[in-house]
Amino acid sequence: MSARGALLRLEQLEVVYQKVVTAIQGVSLEVAEGQIVALLGSNGAGKTTTLRAITGFLGVDDARVTDGRVWFEGRSIENQPPQLVAHQGIAIVPERQKVFETLTVTENLEATVPGAGTTRAEQRRRVERVFEHFPRLHAARRRLAGYLSGGERQMLAIGAALLCTPRLLLVDELSQGLAPRIVENLLERLVELRKELGLTVLLVEQSAHVALQVADHGYILENGRVVLDGTPQRLREHKDVQEFYLGQAGGGERRSYRDVKQYRRSRRWYG
Amino acid sequence: MAYASGYFKTDYAMELRLIETRWQKVSAAVLVLALGVFPLISPQVAIGIANQVFIAIVGAAALMLLTGYAGQISLGHAGLLAAGALTTGVLFKELGATFWVTLPASAVVGGLLGLVFGLPSLRLKGLYLAITTLALHFVVAFVGGEYETRRGFSTGILISPPAIGGFALQEQQHWYYVLLAIAVAAMLFCINLLRTRTGRALMAIRDHDIVAESLGIPVRRYKLLIFVVSSTMTSVAGCLLAYYRGFVSIEAFSLYLTIDYVAMVIIGGLGSMLGAVLGALFVITFPYVIEGLLRVLPIPAGIANEMFAINYAAFGLVMILFLVFEPLGLVGIWRRVRNYFLLWPYRQTAVGGGGG
Amino acid sequence: MQTVANIAVLVAIYALIGSGYVLIYRVSRVLNLAQGELMMLVAYLLFSLATLFGGHPASALAGAVLLSLLVGLVLYVVLMRRMTGELVIAAVLVTIALGILLRGLMVLVWTGQMARPLEKLGWQNSPLALGHGVALSSVAVTTIFVAIAIYVGLFVFFRYTAWGVRMRAVGENPLLAAQRGIKLHVAYAMAWALATFSGGCAGMLLALDSGLDGTMAIIGLKAFPVVLVGGLDSLRGAIVGALIVASAEVLAIQLIDPLVSDVVPFVVLIAMLAVRPWGLFGTEEDIQRV
Repeated sequence: MSARGALLRLEQLEVVYQKVVTAIQGVSLEVAEGQIVALLGSNGAGKTTTLRAITGFLGVDDARVTDGRVWFEGRSIENQPPQLVAHQGIAIVPERQKVFETLTVTENLEATVPGAGTTRAEQRRRVERVFEHFPRLHAARRRLAGYLSGGERQMLAIGAALLCTPRLLLVDELSQGLAPRIVENLLERLVELRKELGLTVLLVEQSAHVALQVADHGYILENGRVVLDGTPQRLREHKDVQEFYLGQAGGGERRSYRDVKQYRRSRRWYG
Repeated sequence: MAYASGYFKTDYAMELRLIETRWQKVSAAVLVLALGVFPLISPQVAIGIANQVFIAIVGAAALMLLTGYAGQISLGHAGLLAAGALTTGVLFKELGATFWVTLPASAVVGGLLGLVFGLPSLRLKGLYLAITTLALHFVVAFVGGEYETRRGFSTGILISPPAIGGFALQEQQHWYYVLLAIAVAAMLFCINLLRTRTGRALMAIRDHDIVAESLGIPVRRYKLLIFVVSSTMTSVAGCLLAYYRGFVSIEAFSLYLTIDYVAMVIIGGLGSMLGAVLGALFVITFPYVIEGLLRVLPIPAGIANEMFAINYAAFGLVMILFLVFEPLGLVGIWRRVRNYFLLWPYRQTAVGGGGG
Repeated sequence: MQTVANIAVLVAIYALIGSGYVLIYRVSRVLNLAQGELMMLVAYLLFSLATLFGGHPASALAGAVLLSLLVGLVLYVVLMRRMTGELVIAAVLVTIALGILLRGLMVLVWTGQMARPLEKLGWQNSPLALGHGVALSSVAVTTIFVAIAIYVGLFVFFRYTAWGVRMRAVGENPLLAAQRGIKLHVAYAMAWALATFSGGCAGMLLALDSGLDGTMAIIGLKAFPVVLVGGLDSLRGAIVGALIVASAEVLAIQLIDPLVSDVVPFVVLIAMLAVRPWGLFGTEEDIQRV
């Protein structure tokens, strides 16, 4: 992948929590304009930390980017305050607490601050567009977001993120806690939106199944490092991905946790 | 808490030791000597201030246990002090009770009130607990005020000085040694309490009560216990205050007294007994220092008449400055200075929690 | 009937002061215990302005209203902004300290003497007969109308304007709000400005009605049970709480003893905290329960 088309580029990123705990180390990845890129990894691999490093939300937990750069459209944005990052065109759909539960659906959308110079009429039109994309939200527009189902919440969160007219959309755990059919539906929407708005998406997922369905490129994160990357094709064919992420046992039968530990120790990733 | 280079704790007994190094032994001896000689060479005014500081130390240590170590925020401290003082006043006035009756009686009343003040803490935390204790303060103040007006003591109750072993405490110097002994006893009690299982349980509750509960610490029992202990101590301080002033009036126990005590533990530094002492010293001497400064500085006479207001404003300002710029309080400053000299010529770099 | 009228006036005052507590708590989760001192400050500012522009009462009033917004704004920018990210209780203690500081400064600047801004403005506080033998002073009647107007204004603001909705959003989840591009500091600063404004209105009206001296801040503290009874984060709750506390207080004065009036709000408060600590209209999750 060439560096020219990269909208977002992480260069040897290192994040340290409370000045002592290193969460991610030397993470480099690229997201080219118009791509959907998947960032995979199990719990504690450093996925969310990577996202926070991009969005500037490290300060809340007393963490800092101590090394490396985050480039967005050729500007370096690491350690910037969140609102500033948001105004530059990076929107995020967070993992938990993704909607304002005491606000109605419409209010959730209206609370979002659009880019500079957006008129009120323009904002209204965008809200209407979101309702076109997600008719279920339109039906529920007067309801409090706290009473929405998980799928509707996810739609609302994506819709609200879209109102910032982002160049880059970060989605944290799209599939978490949702029925497979709803996930399918949301993924279709994302692909549609990319086509329509020229959106670039970084999907952060535990479920490799889901992410590799739509991604153009995938990265696998483990223990704070990128251990593997490539096209979905290549990842799917990789033995370890099959075993650990797609749940297909390599040698016919499922392996026990102890074996898995053995593999980790032998660092087959690098071999 | 390594006070000297080359001193390492190698067993549990060393962890529990009160005086750890020879340097500490020497400084403790110097401190004892200084405290003992102080009243012999100081003017009456200074001894009077020291006496007030000693009483405040008892009260501040009690609040430090509750807020600084157990993490239960109380805004009812003045109410508890008032309870102790009023118990003393009432018993003295109505029954002519002596010191040896009123002191335990104040302690018992304080303990019972601690139970009342502590009950909400079983259901509420943080801000709401603070508010509840604040409300209880108003109730105590109201009951006290009612008593005073109904019985015709609205100007207050006069109390004659206490007799200990046929020896009436009247001179400031005598008071000094008695109060010093009580303050030291209170400090030792608190420090010892904190070194036990109880103390560790309290800190666990402060840091995370749900985790503490799941570790098998009976959170409710300890919360009530610390409220009772703290209130008893506070009430005793109130009793001492009544005798020392020779006068009880509910007016003196307003919300501002609570704020004074809260300021002591904050300015001193939460979570440190040394902080309670430093805070008490700071808050009690503060108005005298300001007054002295005003007398020295060339300030128009008109403003100097507004002593009270100047004190107030300066006190608020100092409290804000501490909260904003030095949340660790005087103890934080003291530690930084100490570490600077301990580590000299190397620069101290904070790692994790910083120096003990 | 006169009792009902008296209660209505007290409800208006309490509701106005209470809205100040609610605004700041709702948006930033900080309890502003300097509310009483702030309303007193605004009242004194009105007094000074009235002395300055003796002949133009309208401009003095407008100036005081503007200053009240400015005071809240400056307080946030200079002081409270530094407390973001600190423990909530530390922020609350800062407001207590701020109250002490303000009180000292106000005595220094204006002395503790009784000040009557109404005379300086050159107005009369004539009693109005409202029929059925009910009479209220004209300022008291104004108070009721001002309270209604401010509450209607606040409801409209929070319901229909973009920034009102955003302030509610910030109050619920500041992290998410920042992710949606909402500037937190703007929301907090607006909350402080609005709170000083509505509290200041109560202070000005009280001062116009019965003069002002060093004891006004205590009324601010007495209004504090009002918001707890109603629920700290609910404007609707503040009205209901004001209604309950004011009725209890007025009735206690008439039926029992004027002396108890100071303690009645706090007894109501303790009863409320024992039964339903988050208040009548408050959000239940708000309360940190064991």
